[in-house]
Amino acid sequence: MDRQTQLKLSANTAIVSGIFSILVSILLLISYWQTSSFNPLETEAIQALVERLAEDPGNDALRDEIRTLDLLARKAYFTSTWQVKTGGYLLLFGAIVCIVALRYYYSLLTKIEKPGEPVVNENVNRILSQKWILAAGMVIMVLALAAAVLSRNHFSTYTPVSSAIVAEAVTGTDQVEVVEIRTDSAQEGMQGDEQEGLEGEVSQGAAAITMRFPTREEVLQHHNAFRGPFSNGITSRRNIPVDWDAATNRNIKWKVPVPKEGNNSPVLWGNKLFFAGAEGRSQTVYCYDHNTGRLLWQQDVNNIPGSTAAVPRVTDDTGLSAPTLTTDGQRVYSIFATGDVICFDMDGNRIWARNLGVPENHYGHASSLICWQDKLYVQYDTGEGGRLIALNVLTGETLWQTFREVEISWASPILAQIGGAYQVILVADPLVAGYDANTGKEMWSVPCMSGEVGPSAAYSDGLVYAVNEYAVLVAIDPTREEVVWEDNEFLSDISSPVVSNGLLFILTSYGIMVCYDAKTGEEYWEYQARQGFMSSPIVAENKLYVTDWDGNTYIFEVSREMNLIGECSLGEPVYTTPAFADGAIYFKGWENLYCIGQ
Amino acid sequence: MHLTGCIYTGTHKALKAVFLLLLLFVMMPPASFAQQRFPRPEFETGYEQPTPVTPEPRSLALEYVDVAMLLAVMALVTWFLLKKRSRTGIFWISVFTLVYFGFYRNGCICSVGSVQNVALSLFNTGYSVSLTVLAFFLLPLIFSLFYGRVFCAGACALGAIQDLIIVKPITFPSWLQKTLGIFPFVYLGLAILFAVTGTDFIICRYDPFVGIFRMGAEFTMIVLGIGMLLIGMFVARPYCRFVCPYGALLRVTSFFARRHMTITPAECIQCRLCESSCPFDAIDFPGDSNARPDTEKNLRRFILYLVLIPVWVALGGFAVSSAHVFLSRAHPDVFLANLLITKPEMRNDLDNIDIQTFLSSGKPLETLVEEAEVIQNQFYTGGWILGGFIGFVIGITLLNQVVFRRKTDYEPHKGNCYSCGRCMKYCPVIKKQ
Amino acid sequence: MDKDKAQSRRNFIDKGMRITLGLSLAGVGSVALSRVSAKKWVWQIDPFLCTQCGRCADYCVLKPSAVKCVHAYDLCGYCDLCGGYLRPEHTERDTGAENQLCPTAAIERRYIEEPYYEYVINRDLCIGCAKCVAGCTAFGNGSLHLQIQHDLCMNCNECSIARVCPSNAISRVESDAAYIIKGGFTREESGG
Repeated sequence: MDRQTQLKLSANTAIVSGIFSILVSILLLISYWQTSSFNPLETEAIQALVERLAEDPGNDALRDEIRTLDLLARKAYFTSTWQVKTGGYLLLFGAIVCIVALRYYYSLLTKIEKPGEPVVNENVNRILSQKWILAAGMVIMVLALAAAVLSRNHFSTYTPVSSAIVAEAVTGTDQVEVVEIRTDSAQEGMQGDEQEGLEGEVSQGAAAITMRFPTREEVLQHHNAFRGPFSNGITSRRNIPVDWDAATNRNIKWKVPVPKEGNNSPVLWGNKLFFAGAEGRSQTVYCYDHNTGRLLWQQDVNNIPGSTAAVPRVTDDTGLSAPTLTTDGQRVYSIFATGDVICFDMDGNRIWARNLGVPENHYGHASSLICWQDKLYVQYDTGEGGRLIALNVLTGETLWQTFREVEISWASPILAQIGGAYQVILVADPLVAGYDANTGKEMWSVPCMSGEVGPSAAYSDGLVYAVNEYAVLVAIDPTREEVVWEDNEFLSDISSPVVSNGLLFILTSYGIMVCYDAKTGEEYWEYQARQGFMSSPIVAENKLYVTDWDGNTYIFEVSREMNLIGECSLGEPVYTTPAFADGAIYFKGWENLYCIGQ
Repeated sequence: MHLTGCIYTGTHKALKAVFLLLLLFVMMPPASFAQQRFPRPEFETGYEQPTPVTPEPRSLALEYVDVAMLLAVMALVTWFLLKKRSRTGIFWISVFTLVYFGFYRNGCICSVGSVQNVALSLFNTGYSVSLTVLAFFLLPLIFSLFYGRVFCAGACALGAIQDLIIVKPITFPSWLQKTLGIFPFVYLGLAILFAVTGTDFIICRYDPFVGIFRMGAEFTMIVLGIGMLLIGMFVARPYCRFVCPYGALLRVTSFFARRHMTITPAECIQCRLCESSCPFDAIDFPGDSNARPDTEKNLRRFILYLVLIPVWVALGGFAVSSAHVFLSRAHPDVFLANLLITKPEMRNDLDNIDIQTFLSSGKPLETLVEEAEVIQNQFYTGGWILGGFIGFVIGITLLNQVVFRRKTDYEPHKGNCYSCGRCMKYCPVIKKQ
Repeated sequence: MDKDKAQSRRNFIDKGMRITLGLSLAGVGSVALSRVSAKKWVWQIDPFLCTQCGRCADYCVLKPSAVKCVHAYDLCGYCDLCGGYLRPEHTERDTGAENQLCPTAAIERRYIEEPYYEYVINRDLCIGCAKCVAGCTAFGNGSLHLQIQHDLCMNCNECSIARVCPSNAISRVESDAAYIIKGGFTREESGG
């Protein structure tokens, strides 16, 4: 082969392989563009069809359609993977051939040439170099300085929201006083304009969110949590009905069907009544008008980051929505068995939501929420370990969490003022313990409980009461961390104790109601109801309202002698604890929500 | 809870098998089931559970083979360069390197990236560098102190792929080369700063050719790699000359090499045949005696530039350290903290996995901000050092422009020469026996 | 004469610089050597930190990813109703495409005995999307979990998934403990 043929051959090879490589690259680009704009495995179409099929399981045509589509999607995915791989190798091959041919072609062309004229003047070059290096150096410096000017340091001005909150507390009589929350870190003297500025910054979503937190007096006027204000089973509401009957509609002000299953109890603030329900993955929070029973709003709890697609396994008697909601008059908070915690304002605008991790709980998470000032407390005693979590009510951020060495608990936190400071009191196996409501520090704990704890604690006159079936009933003095008295004759399984006027009431799952002396543990009387109790007792106007799971309510006088004032019936199962307002009681039965009153 | 656990179970639509299991739980004493939702089954059919598949990683011995390979390749290159003076030998070694370190080892045991590991291990006591990586970092540098950049010539897969595709190199004016030559040092400094602060390994992340070796990478990196190769057909070794941070180190060590390769095996006869042989413009020509600059003026410049070096260092330190906020945002934690502060509405962006994972982790924002501030402060300190270094490099490069080394022969520029051996072919001189 | 002088001065400077550079290299080398580990380092996913975000499928330099689902058979409940295998909206507990969660049908469901089923991952099909892991973790024992497969992993200097992992579940470990296979339900029990 002479040189000319070789030149021609290598040039042609280079051109052909070059064109080949370009074609392969274009194909690869198209394939890339296709898969990046449409990933067959992420298609929503199949998911939509599957959801349709779930509603209509008998539809065989739909089933076949899904299978065909699924097969196509997988084929498309694996084919495109194959295409990219094969294309890559082809391109590599083409490129190698092209390069070899090109190199050969140019090596034939180049010969060692006769040197030309001496190169450019070195001096000129050096001066040019100096100029350009100087310029490059300056460009680097200017770029760095420009970057410095354009990027603001947000950390130096950052102050944690929670510690900067200076909250305005509104008392019942519209007196305004400034209360500092978390005085340990709050800056002193922040008032007036600064507060408003902060308010504006923090509130997101709905416009009407303010940072006022209700005072104790204000909370006591509402039924804002499971078992009433501070979850202690006592209400200060007046004119509570003592006589009703669902069968004859006597004193039933209104009645609406419960839209979705949920063993949570209703809570009230002003004219709004809240509860939640969940069926499968569908979780909803409801708000009703307390006067008319009209649905004011309902909001689905979905699209929560970190929330699982799957429904946790729970038993039906606990359900997916066992924890009761709580509200502070500006926001309402709800938690579900999925670990989803959500906050709405009073008009149903979503403020924040997060998932705390699916609680490992073989019946379903049941501990209710409670809030006080800027914190929402979550008792999260799961199979993975116990925690008391305090969330920022405004943002849902975790302010602190205290780890507890306890088993799973189904009890709910209560709030009590002990030694002048608020404590969150929790019951679980094996600890009955109190935590500083501000810092989460464990103030006291007594290891005396065992089993699967359902009943929450009660607090009265310096003593904490806790009980569980197959375990013990204890009265604890938290300041000395010791058990004052204990008993194990009558123990409740789910229903929580209540203390009023120095008397302690216990409701068992087999229908016996017992009255003890709260200080000594001496038993005064007992009463056999027609059914067992799950609902917790509430004391109102020195009367004790207890409801068995058939929906019979027994009204007793709070006294050392048994005095049954009345017995009323709803005629349907009631597992929840009623909510009390002036002149009204709200029962959430298995089927219906009732307002008892004139 | 026991009693009610059993009461309503019958009434529901739920799934029987689940219930059987759940009932099992309810029956069991509480202490035993804190661990596992569904107990380990007891099989009656004698079925045995398989063990999970866990294929072993590539063995450590093979890593030492890599080190031995590197040593062998560099030794061979040196031998071909200095003893055999054979460009062909080096060419075939490059092909081997491309196949072995490139396509077989997927370009991922490489001296270029090892800079970051070594830097990180120097500053972070918790980080241990592996012996192999340290060897890959040190060996080419040690070789270069003795024999110049033999690593670049034939032992670097990145260099090999660029070297092999050179088709028709164009000549760069020397001022452009010198100016662009600053960039590798800036890149080196940045890479070390990012590595030391645990931000990122930018050298590895923006390695344009590793995607080609692996036959797959992020789309942009593949495009960058192919683009770099297309340019590389006409601009010889663009990555090596204007980007490679490890090359920056080698440029320094090789400059003082004890026995660098030479163009001529003996006395240079000034035939000028090699003038156009170097695709990298790395041959120093003997100075034109007519073009000698005004010595006094030159001396003044020399002193000026010398005095300017500390000014450059201070200016660089100031400029880069004040850009520390900007630079630190490359760190994911700083970025996230910043995002959460400046755009609180992003919390509701359910598609932002980083924010949502952070929020559901339960870690307070304060803690994140504190951590981010620590990193930002590291960037401030690092910024002074990096800026000072960049300033120093600029100052020295400037100073170099007024330093003259009297040359009479055609010699490779010991810093810039990749010891590829092309020029040797052009030299007509035959070594006397 | 003059030339020789310049030459010897240049040689002297070169030699001095060579020794300086050599010494500083030795310095860097010896400090690094004190931190050196003779072990091989590999990347590892801690399944207890993993939040199943799905990035392992997308960010690995390999396509499909070197991260695959691994089944800890010891931990598996062999459930008929498997949260990792079945879509939440499944209609039947069978292998129909409309019931399978895995987008590439990489999980094989085998009947063992009443009421137990075994689930086996086909590694060649698995893309590491973590859908089944999320299902199993939320719903079952969490026996399905992601692990980096070291016969596939390129062992990049910096794992490109680790860089984007939102829960920092990927870290560099010595290769003699390359996997954390879930043994018990908690970290302590699995001994890792």
